[in-house]
Amino acid sequence: MNWWKHVMLMELRKILAYRSDFWITFLGQTLIQLLVARSLWQMIFASEGVKVMNGYSLEMMNLYYLIIPIGTRMLSGENIGFVSREIYEGTFTRYLLYPISVFQYKTLTYMTYSLFYGLQLFLLYSLYRLFFTTSSITVMDFSNLLLGVGLFLLASLTYLLMAMLIELIALWADNIWTLIVMLKFFVTFLGGGFVPLTFFPALFQDILRWTPFPYLIQVPAQTIMGMSQSQDIFRAIALLLIWALIFMELIKIVWKRGEKQYTGVGI
Amino acid sequence: MKRYVRLYLYFLQFSFSKAMEFRLDFSFRIIMDIVYSLVNILFFKILFQHTTLIAGWREDQMLIFVASYILVDAISMTVFSTNMWWLAFQINKGDLDYHLIRPVSPLFFLSLREFSANSFMNLLISIGLLTYALGHYADPFSWSDLFLLLALLINGALMYYCCQMLLILPVFWTQSARGFMDLFYSMGIAMERPDRIFKGWLRVLFTIVLPFALIASFPVRLFLEKFNWPTFLHLVAVTILLWILMLGIWRRGLRAYSSASS
Repeated sequence: MNWWKHVMLMELRKILAYRSDFWITFLGQTLIQLLVARSLWQMIFASEGVKVMNGYSLEMMNLYYLIIPIGTRMLSGENIGFVSREIYEGTFTRYLLYPISVFQYKTLTYMTYSLFYGLQLFLLYSLYRLFFTTSSITVMDFSNLLLGVGLFLLASLTYLLMAMLIELIALWADNIWTLIVMLKFFVTFLGGGFVPLTFFPALFQDILRWTPFPYLIQVPAQTIMGMSQSQDIFRAIALLLIWALIFMELIKIVWKRGEKQYTGVGI
Repeated sequence: MKRYVRLYLYFLQFSFSKAMEFRLDFSFRIIMDIVYSLVNILFFKILFQHTTLIAGWREDQMLIFVASYILVDAISMTVFSTNMWWLAFQINKGDLDYHLIRPVSPLFFLSLREFSANSFMNLLISIGLLTYALGHYADPFSWSDLFLLLALLINGALMYYCCQMLLILPVFWTQSARGFMDLFYSMGIAMERPDRIFKGWLRVLFTIVLPFALIASFPVRLFLEKFNWPTFLHLVAVTILLWILMLGIWRRGLRAYSSASS
């Protein structure tokens, strides 16, 4: 068996080590965020007396907020500290001794989480559409779903590189989890995780189009819902890849300098 | 009681000197909390571009609500959060033993030992934000209204602590490393929305069972709208029940605690 299969299986075992906790957390998180967002938007739609706001009906809002919590979990992958914690504790040394690149190893473990959450998104969305299909939304399309989940995976890879760049700051600073939390705030807010970006002022939307943020959350979610045109999807793929390359180059520079700082002792 | 106050003062002293060791982290934490406040303010600002009222509140009223839950969060982050973060690990690894043999209440020790000095700055910033929001509030209010709001927000921070404990304590039985902490953070969003948006069983869930919607929303309602006894009594009754429930589960958990690590 190839090394990457071993690593993926080991990570899957970790994910499912505490099954009841895992499923309660997953369903609880998804449902709560959906229901809270639904309650808020229901009230706003009712108070304004409209059926559609900025291109979204209430039913579309429901779908959007069903996708968002799992989509953002896909982005977060292995979660905060996947490199910085190991640098802090000195356990990062073992990856330097492995016969494979530390970055390849970490990318694989991270993406195993993203892939697993992607499967959950696929299943949950399919089930939801099966039981709650309504006339105002286009018919469920599996190709859109596959394309959207694929975009989320590409987005996870780009986000991983953004996060890795920040995690490597741990080579100089003792504690950097706050920086990752900040990154999460920015990505969720500017990616449309709190409010769809069509509700943002027009100038803001224009600026954001050149940043990676909309393509990390909103565009993949809209693709799943069948709201994205093919040019939106191509643009998302292109921009995600360009930003991934930029972050990769920055990581190389930071690692080259930071490697000399690493003592392997831990704190 | 005197002994506990003295002990808490030692906790404070220790926490401040520890925070000063990690100066960069100290600054990062302040920036992080400022970003959190900004994102929350902007969220409602964007919504108010598309509507004039949310749950019956105007934008200036909503700013008071936002500042209130940010204050509750800041109190929680300063006083409890670091302790809560480690509690699940300590139960999971069997490290609770050291605290059970000490001649002080283990709940007191485990909940308050780490005072997050770097979040203390944010507590001051959130007080500033609330002052700003109150300064821009169009309607008149009295000192007693303000005093009641602050007292109920402190009560809200204690309720928030109880809710967090309720989602950590299952670790005694599930032996997982973090309990339902991720679920707790997700549920926190219910504290950040006005309670009036919740209807039916969801309202029962968030105002009685896991009363996140009472933490900031009820105190702000009592401040912005005319004081009414049913709302106040609801808040008091749920607070008492929540404490009884949390203490009951804590005691049962200690009985189930095997001390062996998992």
